Amino acid sequence: MSDVVVNVNGLAKTFQVKQKAAGLRGSVRSLWRQNTREVTAVSDISFALQKGEMLAFIGPNGAGKSTTIKMLTGILYPSAGQASVLGFTPWKDRRKLGYHIGSVFGQKPQLWYHLPPEDTFRLFARIYELDMAEFQKRRDFLVESFQIADLLQTPVRKLSLGQRMKCEIAASLLHRPRIIFLDEPTIGLDVVAKQQIREAIRYLNEQEQTTIFLTSHDAGDIESLCKRVVIINHGRLIYDNSTSALKRQYLRRKIIDVRFAEPLTEPFALPCVETLKQGTHGLKLEFDGRDVPVETVVQQVMATKPTQDITIADPPLEEIIREIYKK
Amino acid sequence: MMKRIQAELSFLRALIGVNLASAMEYRASFISQIVGMFINNGIYFVFWIIFFNQFGTVRGYNMDEIFLLFAIVTLGYGLGFMFAGNTRQYMAYLVAQGRLDYYLVFPRNLLLHVIFSKMIVSTVGDVAFGLIAYSFTGRFTLVEMGLFLLTAVFAAIIFVGYSVITGSLAFYMGNAQYASQQVTNAMLTFSLYPNSLFSGASRMMLYTVIPAAFVGAVPVDIVRYHDGRLLLLLAGTAVLIWLLALALFYYGLRRYESGSAINVNV
Ligand SMILES: Nc1ncnc2c1ncn2[C@@H]1O[C@H](COP(=O)(O)OP(=O)(O)OP(=O)(O)O)[C@@H](O)[C@H]1O
Ligand SMILES: [Mg+2]
Repeated sequence: MSDVVVNVNGLAKTFQVKQKAAGLRGSVRSLWRQNTREVTAVSDISFALQKGEMLAFIGPNGAGKSTTIKMLTGILYPSAGQASVLGFTPWKDRRKLGYHIGSVFGQKPQLWYHLPPEDTFRLFARIYELDMAEFQKRRDFLVESFQIADLLQTPVRKLSLGQRMKCEIAASLLHRPRIIFLDEPTIGLDVVAKQQIREAIRYLNEQEQTTIFLTSHDAGDIESLCKRVVIINHGRLIYDNSTSALKRQYLRRKIIDVRFAEPLTEPFALPCVETLKQGTHGLKLEFDGRDVPVETVVQQVMATKPTQDITIADPPLEEIIREIYKK
Repeated sequence: MMKRIQAELSFLRALIGVNLASAMEYRASFISQIVGMFINNGIYFVFWIIFFNQFGTVRGYNMDEIFLLFAIVTLGYGLGFMFAGNTRQYMAYLVAQGRLDYYLVFPRNLLLHVIFSKMIVSTVGDVAFGLIAYSFTGRFTLVEMGLFLLTAVFAAIIFVGYSVITGSLAFYMGNAQYASQQVTNAMLTFSLYPNSLFSGASRMMLYTVIPAAFVGAVPVDIVRYHDGRLLLLLAGTAVLIWLLALALFYYGLRRYESGSAINVNV
């Protein structure tokens, strides 16, 4: 199909890491005897991405997310496997691919530190050989989308992290990339900045069908942007499905929050139900829907005392992710 | 083809513009670096003047050849690293620290982009010094001035090419930063001595491993004797050094390991 933007097949990367025994003695010995150890950062992952998709590519620290992005953007040669991004093999057609992809590494800024963002924007216009009139229109559009008009003339070193990140993302979109790789774009940002960035990304995706490849440790990013989640751990792909399926599959646990009209006199207890918290008027329970049906628990609760309020909730996405990572 | 070259030049111009703007953010440091380098060269120079007042000649070099040697080396060095500053100090570092990532995602010629992404401001002092030193040589015929400028440009090309070679060692031996800098420094230092001071193996070295002769002694002889054959040899050497530089760099790139260091473009 022509709408496949990314196609990854059996991609793998191993690094040779030098090993050295602790202390000075180890350092001296390593001068003539180098021990290297193989670290498998990514092993045999396969997936495909359609045009306009927003993918959350997640996993615990060291899972291999950044390494995967680096292979897909042509920064690293893989040890094995194939990948095609927009029809190009990234590490072979690095330059041709470069015109059509954008990348933002939360930890590796692209804006020139001593200069205002505007200067880097202009440099990028040259790098991507943009038509100047077209570039100005595009810049104005992005400045509007990211609300960065009053930051453009300030040296980057004087911008806050959130302000800078908005400019970083805007810069990476100047050349209308068809896919953008975002490696932890919201790291260290406050809720407002995160929200603004999410909205701008969603807007871009709606307006221009830009494919989004996002890694993040923030469940909020994933929940508010991505319909699909790929999870990797120890370099292996362990999950690839929709965000809602992820919730359904792992969300058999329920949390019930109750407020009673009268004070509770004795501890609440029910088999297979965990009492998370019990106050004079409040009660918080957690259980697995497969062990006890929700109705049973609710009936038992209502039979105890007259209730004022009952809420039944799924645990937050973050908890689900934690569960999966633990395996 | 013409369009390609134009796009490439327009990109390099923009890159150098950004560099210059970045360097000028701190005006005081900008000026003091230039002046500092000028004085630095001057001190070295005064040493030779005193030396020659004492001894007259050093194995076939007299005062004016020393002026010429200084002029070519400093102008070549200055021209080379003024815009191609990244290779002078940072290339091995960029490689070892995984900072090539930044350049790799752009649709540009990688080596050009890396090389021209850093200006060394103090080299303006070298260029000025080189030109002034030349005015002391008293060689003002058109041929000599032409040969002087030409050989200085070759020296610049060789300086930069050689530092690409030493910088690329980082792909193969990891932390080559210190070694790479020392070797480039050694090349500069050796090039400033009259060639005839060296003999045997150490002389051999200056034509091979540390090709200091090609940025100093050989250009001086070209200007002195109007030697066309030597000029060809110099051009050939420049080509050879760059072929080796390109091979080492692009072959090394396959081994590039990136990394997680946080970087900023200053
Ligand atoms: N340049 C490198 N040299 C050696 N090992 C590396 C290198 N880069 C990554 N690794 C190793 O590969 C594994 C995956 O790293 P990677 O940076 O891809 O993880 P990640 O999923 O992005 O983690 P995080 O969430 O912490 O950013 C880790 O074990 C890491 O130590
Ligand atoms: Mg990472």
